[in-house]
Amino acid sequence: MSNSARIGPLVGALALTGLASLSLPAHAASTQDELEALKQTVRELQKRLEALDQAVDQKVKIVERKQELVNEDVSKKLKDAPTVTASNKGFSIRSSDKDFEFKLRGLAHVDYRAYDGDAHEQTTGNVPVATDGFLARRLRPTFEGTLFGKYGFRFTPEFAESGDGGAAASGDRRNNRVRVVDAYFDVNANDAYKFRIGKHKPFVGLERLQSGSDTKFIERSYVSNNILPNRDIGVSVHGDVLDKKLNYAVGYFNGVADGGDNFTSVDDNTDKDFAWRLFSTPFTGSGGILEGLGFGVAGTWANDSNTNALPRYRTPGQNQFFAYRSTTTANGSRTRISPQAYYYNGPLGVLAEYAQVKQDVSSSTAGVGSAELKNDAWQIAVTWLLTGEDASFKGVKPLQPFKFGEPSGWGAWEVGLRYQENNLDRDAARFADPTATNRPGFALGARTWGVGLSWYHNENSKFLVNYESTSLDDVTAGTGASAVLRGDKERFLSFRYQVAY
Amino acid sequence: MQRKTAKFKTLVAILGLAAAALASPARAETTLLNVSYDPTRELYTEYNAAFAKYWKEKSGEVVTVKQSHGGAAKQARAVIDGLQADVVTLALSYDIDELHAKGKLIPADWQKRLPNNSSPYTSTIVLLVRKGNPKNIKDWGDLAKPGTAVITPNPKTSGGARYNYLAAWGWALQQPGGNDKTAQDLLTKIYKNVPVLDSGARGSTTTFIERGIGDVLITWENEALLAVKELGPDKFDIVVPSLSVLAEPPVTVVDKVTNRRGTRKLAEAYLNYLYSDEGQDIAGKHFYRPTNEKVAKKYEKQFPKVKLFTVDETFGGWQKAQKTHFADGGLFDQIYGIR
Repeated sequence: MSNSARIGPLVGALALTGLASLSLPAHAASTQDELEALKQTVRELQKRLEALDQAVDQKVKIVERKQELVNEDVSKKLKDAPTVTASNKGFSIRSSDKDFEFKLRGLAHVDYRAYDGDAHEQTTGNVPVATDGFLARRLRPTFEGTLFGKYGFRFTPEFAESGDGGAAASGDRRNNRVRVVDAYFDVNANDAYKFRIGKHKPFVGLERLQSGSDTKFIERSYVSNNILPNRDIGVSVHGDVLDKKLNYAVGYFNGVADGGDNFTSVDDNTDKDFAWRLFSTPFTGSGGILEGLGFGVAGTWANDSNTNALPRYRTPGQNQFFAYRSTTTANGSRTRISPQAYYYNGPLGVLAEYAQVKQDVSSSTAGVGSAELKNDAWQIAVTWLLTGEDASFKGVKPLQPFKFGEPSGWGAWEVGLRYQENNLDRDAARFADPTATNRPGFALGARTWGVGLSWYHNENSKFLVNYESTSLDDVTAGTGASAVLRGDKERFLSFRYQVAY
Repeated sequence: MQRKTAKFKTLVAILGLAAAALASPARAETTLLNVSYDPTRELYTEYNAAFAKYWKEKSGEVVTVKQSHGGAAKQARAVIDGLQADVVTLALSYDIDELHAKGKLIPADWQKRLPNNSSPYTSTIVLLVRKGNPKNIKDWGDLAKPGTAVITPNPKTSGGARYNYLAAWGWALQQPGGNDKTAQDLLTKIYKNVPVLDSGARGSTTTFIERGIGDVLITWENEALLAVKELGPDKFDIVVPSLSVLAEPPVTVVDKVTNRRGTRKLAEAYLNYLYSDEGQDIAGKHFYRPTNEKVAKKYEKQFPKVKLFTVDETFGGWQKAQKTHFADGGLFDQIYGIR
């Protein structure tokens, strides 16, 4: 109701009151004058009321406009304010224009390992292999950030004692020292041209490039752990081209032994590794049966001169089955090549890769000489999601998450089957144990089949159980005081609880 | 030795790729950001399209010019705080000076780089009243009358508002017996009549025209002419005061940003084109007074005759005017008070 409408009856009442209060004169002219005066009064009152109405209207509009400006100001401030997020993706602070962001993420693996079989019956010595028990496998906070939209960094320390599960050359891990897993900077010019410098995964192994939180089995295969590089220090240029259907990468690194993870200190030699990879997903976006197919090939090349960059080969139970004698050095070229592929369609996931390394070695032990050794490994892993989710190279998002202690779904369940082999050059034997006395024992091949069951409670929490049976080939049993390899079988049952965010 | 050479070549190749990756953003850029003041939206919308066409014909490159508008002081602050403006086209030189003083984004002598002190067009301040001028407003003194609701933006955030303020102050000084005291009295009375302080000129236009608040809007001449053109002469009248201020909105390339993005040449061409006949014509069409005499003559009939003074001659320049009137604790704070 307008002010006029509200005040109108009041004016009428006043007018009537004025009329009623008049003492009607006998003279008609006088009455007429008074009537005119009354009309004038009504008109003036009407005018004043209209002015009052306008004034009130202005005041209301001013109040409304001021409120509007306050709202605009608040909206703008909210829009410009940094966003603080805590979600299943971790914790982050992000500027309103998204050009600056800091993220805290984490990955924790707590394992239980149980062994059976005769391949790891330790007699004496102090190397703690093949013992049943709990293990903090990975304890990795990750600090990630974006600067000015195009620049980024990632820093991941490792607090778990065993690190990559293997014996450390320096013994650092056994002293519970923190080591650096990733420490690199990115310049992302555009999708086709990205630049990474620091310690990172060389763009080589397919399974290695899969996040540690997304691997389908508790331990990666021989391809990743025994042949291809794990992490190295250097520079990479990489990107997606051809409508993101081809990914390329080239890199230049200090160089690591097969399956090796470089330390962050200065390199111990001047020889460097060149790494490359081409990986295609030609059917991306097609919607057809081949949409989830990806394949490619990668490799590394180096030319070492008398370096100690030689590996130790391990079983899935992380027990060593071959190591070079200390008198053996890498001396000459080291060439790795790795064809690789994956396929995802509905609940089905398949990952297959092969890697071969040609390594020139020489020994300072009299009579052993030099050789080019060809070692290789391959794996094929097939997984199937039982609860209807789609499989992918990345993690699984349960359709119906499981919640402890309250009514909920069953999460996502996935079964997996994997077969893998690691075959060493027969000529490698003479570089492992030429003396035949006090030998630790070694094998020249390992064949492993394994089954796995994964229970994804939600995107951040999962439980895995794996059983893997390994047969070692061409075993030369250990006879010395520190022999660790006796027999040719490893049966390995492992459990893992993972939290990743 | 041969191995060393091969390794060195590999390293050089990698570094070359890395350098190319780092350099590529600069080469790939074909966008410009023009950070401008509040009422220039329509001007630069048309101008940007014209410049893109011109540049395509001249160089073959496709360029996209993005615009950002707001109160001039707020816009300058945003650029100092990191808004990646390739060029700024603000209301007054003081705000651009701040880009040098507080951000070191441009050189101190930036205003000498383009003709007319880097002002490709000028304007002035007029009064927009409701049709029939019901409050009978004829000059600055009428704004001080009790009961006259005056709409003007906040001089702390708006360049146009500072011109509004100085126009009234300059007029008061020119009145018989006029001095700083009488001018301050006038401005005190005027700001008592201001019910809403918007942050920019376009906001005040919204308050006056769309929200129907106030009896008179102190505004840019181009904004008043645009309002009459867009909304019809039957709704508003323009009152030209007896004396007003010459507004000289300047423009400049932001050196630090354009050097980093590799857009300097493009940004310079963008501003130079403002001085071309085409650029001047677009300014005239949008009611800015062209500085090119030939184009100015074409549009002279649309601009009322008004006696103008400059900020330099009346206030000793923008730096002094800013310090005296608009800095924290300055005369405007005393006049408007803390409300």
